[in-house]
Amino acid sequence: MSLTAEESVTTMTINGEADLLRIRAMLRAEAQLAGLGLTAETKLVTAGSELARNIVRYATHGQGTASVERLRSEGRRGVRAAFSDSGPGIADLDEVMRDGFSTGGSLGLGLPGSRRLVDEFAIDSAPGRGTTVVIAQWAR
Amino acid sequence: MPEDVPIIRMGPNLLVALQGNLDDTTVEQIERAVTGEVARTQATGTLIDVSGLSIVDSFVARVLARLVAMIRLLGAEATIVGLQPAVAITLVELGVPMGHVRTALNAEQGMARLRGSRDEPDR
Amino acid sequence: MGYGGVAVGGDVSYYQQMIDSITDYEVIRLDENGVICSWHPGAERLTGYTASEIVGRPVSVFYLPEDIAAGRLEQELRTAVEKGRCETEGYRVRKDGSRFWAAVSVTPIRERDGSMVGYVKIARDLSERREQQLAALAVEQMLDAITDYEVIRLDAQGYVRSWSPGAQRLKGFAVEEVLGHHVSMFYTEEDVRAGLAEREMGIAARQERFEGEGWRVRKDGSRFWATVTLSPIRDEGGELIGFVKVARDLTERREQEQLLARQRDEILELSTPVIQVWDKVLVLPLIGTLDSLRAARLTEGLLERIARDQAEVVIMDISGVPAIDTDVAQHLLKTVEAARLMGTVSVLSGVRPETAQAIVHLGIELGTLRSRNTLRDALQLALRLVAGADRDTVDA
Repeated sequence: MSLTAEESVTTMTINGEADLLRIRAMLRAEAQLAGLGLTAETKLVTAGSELARNIVRYATHGQGTASVERLRSEGRRGVRAAFSDSGPGIADLDEVMRDGFSTGGSLGLGLPGSRRLVDEFAIDSAPGRGTTVVIAQWAR
Repeated sequence: MPEDVPIIRMGPNLLVALQGNLDDTTVEQIERAVTGEVARTQATGTLIDVSGLSIVDSFVARVLARLVAMIRLLGAEATIVGLQPAVAITLVELGVPMGHVRTALNAEQGMARLRGSRDEPDR
Repeated sequence: MGYGGVAVGGDVSYYQQMIDSITDYEVIRLDENGVICSWHPGAERLTGYTASEIVGRPVSVFYLPEDIAAGRLEQELRTAVEKGRCETEGYRVRKDGSRFWAAVSVTPIRERDGSMVGYVKIARDLSERREQQLAALAVEQMLDAITDYEVIRLDAQGYVRSWSPGAQRLKGFAVEEVLGHHVSMFYTEEDVRAGLAEREMGIAARQERFEGEGWRVRKDGSRFWATVTLSPIRDEGGELIGFVKVARDLTERREQEQLLARQRDEILELSTPVIQVWDKVLVLPLIGTLDSLRAARLTEGLLERIARDQAEVVIMDISGVPAIDTDVAQHLLKTVEAARLMGTVSVLSGVRPETAQAIVHLGIELGTLRSRNTLRDALQLALRLVAGADRDTVDA
């Protein structure tokens, strides 16, 4: 990533489905502040919704955190969001990130899909260590 | 979403608008209301207006697909109308399979198509 | 025999002990010819010679060859005699041949009647300080050479302690106008009210670095967009003693970038206009090569137009696309699917024989996407679709 500055980071805890609404609202607000444009905003919020939902569905007690950060680099603005949980973790990252992966008919974690929606995507996970996914979207 | 799901009747067809936050409880209510009304009125077609949905993630997409499946099982046709441009491209990029879902630009177009539709195998 | 330029009466041994207790300095005695006649623990520590090795040798032993050739020793002794004292700084040589930077003072010793007996030489190792001085000088010179950036020093509270030519060029203030003033004088009113400068310094102090962008104000009141780096300066104990602030004017570059972006948008608009050829029928002529950015923009634009015009059919004319590859095809198919989710049917037109071959060879599945060789044929199909011909069963 290029030169970035941390101007403000907001962290929210995820305890259940009810928090998804707040997270989407937060992402949407930051996206508009950064001037992402409607399509990029929609993609970012959708990806965020997917990742947050993963936490609710698969993390221990459905708990985790989501933090949203403003980005600024060389005149461009962006939004970065990190989704973290201390759940079971993912054993095989390659498998999960491969397109077409699914657990029993559903889209599974939907990670490849989320990755396609954002400019930057990074995932860190291992069994017993939980999972953190960081995404970022930039204004054009 | 209010307790009672507003479903509008237009001749042999029904129109239901989905908006706001769709959580598990709301979804259940909608499914019950729509299937109930399709059966009660013997509707031949249902339009599901999604123009009020600004975010459709995989959960919402599955809700739509299930709703369509339920309506079809009752012998009626179902058409999604009014999907927003940004939502459309996001859904495609997300990779949620929606190939089996019928769509129309708006309620009017959806209605016109329902009127002219014949029995045909699902895609 | 006394020490110093003043004849000293009293117990010589007492003074001797006192002098010997000084170990950071060397205090030695020379005779009137500059020959070492007494030694000192500090001198041994400083130069490495023991008393037996050095007493009786000329003090020039410690001088650099070039200094000896230049007659520096004689000069220092002469000055000491004439002025009562000679203080110099210069390189000296140790027993092992290594050099050190020393501060030297030579004072003549006289009898009560004023006749010369010898000299007292006091020397101190300044190497470390000298290195620091040189380094600081080098840095100053380097910083002054930078005029595109401002590099200034603030104290721990944010008051300006140093200025630079670059800072003057950037902000318009001369050094006397800023020294001692608080750094917030360069911030906009809103940022001052929000305590932005303090916040930035706080982040720099906590995280050892602050990098950011923001508006700053020049002397003439004009604003510019700057990229700023704040680094804390700490003393040996780790205490914060100030900050180094480096800033660069990005206004011009940002304006250039925005201009470029606007131009790109305009070019995109011009090169791929969506045309409404009929009520509810749009044509998108794709021209040239499609990079992913352009392709994404095209798709967004097309879908927006579909929504705006409520177009039931979109004709995507690819006769202007030189070569269809998997990426282009994939993107095209995504666009077609997105249009379909909105309720719009797409028709591909301008498919040349080569394109048809390429598509099949590449194994690209067009699915139910209809396609025609010419735009005219595509248009005929579109009109039939709009007129109500069954969209799902019309011959593909």
